[in-house]
Amino acid sequence: MLDVMGKAVDTIDDRDVSFADIRHQDLATTSIAVVNGALRRLSRSTKAGTVARVLVGECWGQSSITEPFSLGILENLLSKAVKMAKHNAQHSRMKINLSGIPVHQETSWQETKEDPSNIAEEEKLDFVMDLDKAQKVDEKIVNTNSMYADSKVIYRLANSEGSRLEWDETRTRVAVRPVAKDESKVQYDYAIKSGLAGYELVRVLDPNEFASKCARDAIDLLSATKAPSGEVTAVVDGDIAGLIAHEVCGHASEADEVVKKRSFLSDLVGVEVGTDQVSMVDDGSIPGLLGSFPFDSEGTPSSRTTIIENGIFRGYMHTLETAAVMRTNPTGNGRAQDYNRRIFARMTNTFFDKGTWNNQEIIEDTKDGLYIIKTHSGMEDVVGGGVQATSLKGYIIKNGELTQLVRQLAIAGNVLEILKTVDAVGNELEFSGGTCGKGEEDWVPVTSGGPHMRMQLVVGGG
Amino acid sequence: MDLVDTAHKLVSQSEQNGASQAEAFVIRVATSSIYIDDNIPKIGDSKIEVGVGLKFILGKKVGFTSSTLLSESTKDVVKRAMSIATISNEDPKFTSLPEARKVSGKPDRFYDKATAEADSSVLADKCMELVKTAGSDAVSVPNGVLRASALEFNVVNSLGVDASSKSTIVFGYFTAKADEDGKVGEGVQRVWSRSLYDVDFVAKGEKLRTQATSVINAKPFKEKWDKIVAVLAPSEGSEMMGTLVGTAVSAENVNNRSSPWTDKVGDTIAHENLSVIDNGKSKLGLMSARVDDEGVPTQKTRIIENGVLKSYLFDSYNANQLDLKSTGNGLRRGGRDAHGAFAGMVSCRPSTLEIPAGSKSVEDIISEVKKGVYIEHFAWPLVDPLSGAFSNEIRNAKIIENGELKDQIKFALLIGNLYESIKDEILVGSDTEVHGTRVMPTMAFAGTELVGQ
Repeated sequence: MLDVMGKAVDTIDDRDVSFADIRHQDLATTSIAVVNGALRRLSRSTKAGTVARVLVGECWGQSSITEPFSLGILENLLSKAVKMAKHNAQHSRMKINLSGIPVHQETSWQETKEDPSNIAEEEKLDFVMDLDKAQKVDEKIVNTNSMYADSKVIYRLANSEGSRLEWDETRTRVAVRPVAKDESKVQYDYAIKSGLAGYELVRVLDPNEFASKCARDAIDLLSATKAPSGEVTAVVDGDIAGLIAHEVCGHASEADEVVKKRSFLSDLVGVEVGTDQVSMVDDGSIPGLLGSFPFDSEGTPSSRTTIIENGIFRGYMHTLETAAVMRTNPTGNGRAQDYNRRIFARMTNTFFDKGTWNNQEIIEDTKDGLYIIKTHSGMEDVVGGGVQATSLKGYIIKNGELTQLVRQLAIAGNVLEILKTVDAVGNELEFSGGTCGKGEEDWVPVTSGGPHMRMQLVVGGG
Repeated sequence: MDLVDTAHKLVSQSEQNGASQAEAFVIRVATSSIYIDDNIPKIGDSKIEVGVGLKFILGKKVGFTSSTLLSESTKDVVKRAMSIATISNEDPKFTSLPEARKVSGKPDRFYDKATAEADSSVLADKCMELVKTAGSDAVSVPNGVLRASALEFNVVNSLGVDASSKSTIVFGYFTAKADEDGKVGEGVQRVWSRSLYDVDFVAKGEKLRTQATSVINAKPFKEKWDKIVAVLAPSEGSEMMGTLVGTAVSAENVNNRSSPWTDKVGDTIAHENLSVIDNGKSKLGLMSARVDDEGVPTQKTRIIENGVLKSYLFDSYNANQLDLKSTGNGLRRGGRDAHGAFAGMVSCRPSTLEIPAGSKSVEDIISEVKKGVYIEHFAWPLVDPLSGAFSNEIRNAKIIENGELKDQIKFALLIGNLYESIKDEILVGSDTEVHGTRVMPTMAFAGTELVGQ
């Protein structure tokens, strides 16, 4: 298959085309969902497709199909892509030169301890049923939701510079979401475990501990009060720190937003953006994390990118194109959701790096404040640097102790101001896997994380 | 690949392999797209995807699988579905797939041929109309996407369902950035239509520029206002209202008792000004089709009438549990993008939620508000559909005092509870717009809180 793909990109004979690649994706997934003790979904599915891209000037054409391919079909795909790229290139203002990009010829198969495809579906189903049962800790739990999914995707990529790559990515995810109800009040909590891993991820989970605790937390939320509104001294857990890192600093450090000067972090390399306790990294090469992979969608190996180092802004996450435009090296952040979607600069595993404080010390050192935990939602603000995020819950801090539980609250403020108020950073990193969209779509698996951090935030309790 | 033949083949092969019932959903989606980057058409894109979803049933055991059939045959797919059904637990709530019902209307009723034939060069030219209108020395269009899809699906099952529908969807998303003396502002405009040629790209460009430049002069809001009226533009209000109502009336959530409106049919759950309809044959709706994704004829379902909850929305699975008929709300497709729809199982959700236009213009509504805020754009219009709580960051808004629009503001949160707010008087505008799977006008809600940062 890779031979045919390679032949197709090598046959392009058009002086206007400066680069081309073909990527094939073959995905197999298993998905199980149990609701209120009943099996609602058990599916095993496949999805495969092929996409060809070409570059003319600074414009791309791309064309994809989901039918079996021959050399002729791939040549036809490339020809369609060339036609589209040429039409757009009438607006081109420069020629992007990708010649000389690193060439990789490699096969990289992921080593899982237990390949999910070797585990009987009955065993996976039993596990999800156990998760669901474990949520029924009280009559107030009116709805239990449990989910298991594994996916294995095999990629093949050939480009006109000579790269020939084959690799795979296996991911496993487990989640529960109990809903608690008391008269007219309804609250929920959730727990997720996920990673670039096989079934070994499930083996270390105790369904009872994982799901029952979550259900008890949902019940506790029924008695939570409304959070205060206004500016507070906030201690955030690693989950919320990761949300801020991802949504605000992360999206704005994706170099495609910098090349076109949309990002508020454009032209800030070398500039102080936070206190010296603030460091931030994107690293797609950390073993086991959901956002890790051997190669991005352009065939660049994943790598570690320092974004902020001791408060100083250091650099951006690059695709082949943005690296060429900014005359630097690609960082392995050119990612596409699938064969139907574009490649652009995307995060992998993005997190604030750890500091020196013990988590308990941070709480004890805070006289009055709010301990904000667990992500609910987040939205990027690449232009303005504003934080729009919601946490599922928190606790009022009084005299260094956690007191009243508070329910869902919004977090706001300008991140460049917030990072200059960070005065305590914990010494333990926490990571949360999830999916990230850019704009409003193009979903890719990522991890966000960080340590406990103390900062000044504007919050609004709903 | 012939979609009808493939669907029949999957069902008959399933039956030959012992399925008590089987259902095949086969869809072909062809899409042309343009991505705008930094004021130019950066990527032209063309894609064709064909996929199948197969339900293989053994009594009360249901197995589901899907495939693009690129590297496997229909027999492989049937074999896999059978193996899944075999190991599945029995679902005591499952009784049957839907029976065949009479389907009216032509399969291509919601299909626009010219839109289906538009290639990426046509889309690029449309985008550049928008970019040129929005752009100026101070305003650029850094991001955008416009795509036009033609989709055709067939549903066949063992009980005689054999239905198809064909439609077109146009989606666009554009941002503009204004930059004056280091002060920045952003505008956001979306395109939702079934026809490319119904969209006024020049008007969209003008709106984009106005939004971006107006934000530049926004003043930080530093107060805290309680019990104010929030007037929400259709894009924002429809997202919040659609999420809330769509979740609360889905029979899936009602049957599992997580909906706050469980056992409330006949109750007054909102102000008398509020009526909501689910319309599977909506003239403007992007989900409009002859049949839903189980092959059940689509229909118009009155959900809320003058504040009274009239009905939930049903797919066949949830309807059967209550001995009711499906309302044609068993869906796999989405309003934004039909690619990948074959891979999802049917879920019980709205097709197109419509709130009928009121008689008031936006100006009329604003003139009736003593103290409030007019919001054109949140960071994202979120609401928790279980509790109704929301606290959203404002990106483009003006305060309202004594019936008049005043300062453009920034750095503020709108906080409240939408289940509570819809019980107070709601003002409904006359300016109905399509946003995703909703067709709704400007709406004003009382009892909200505006908190400055």
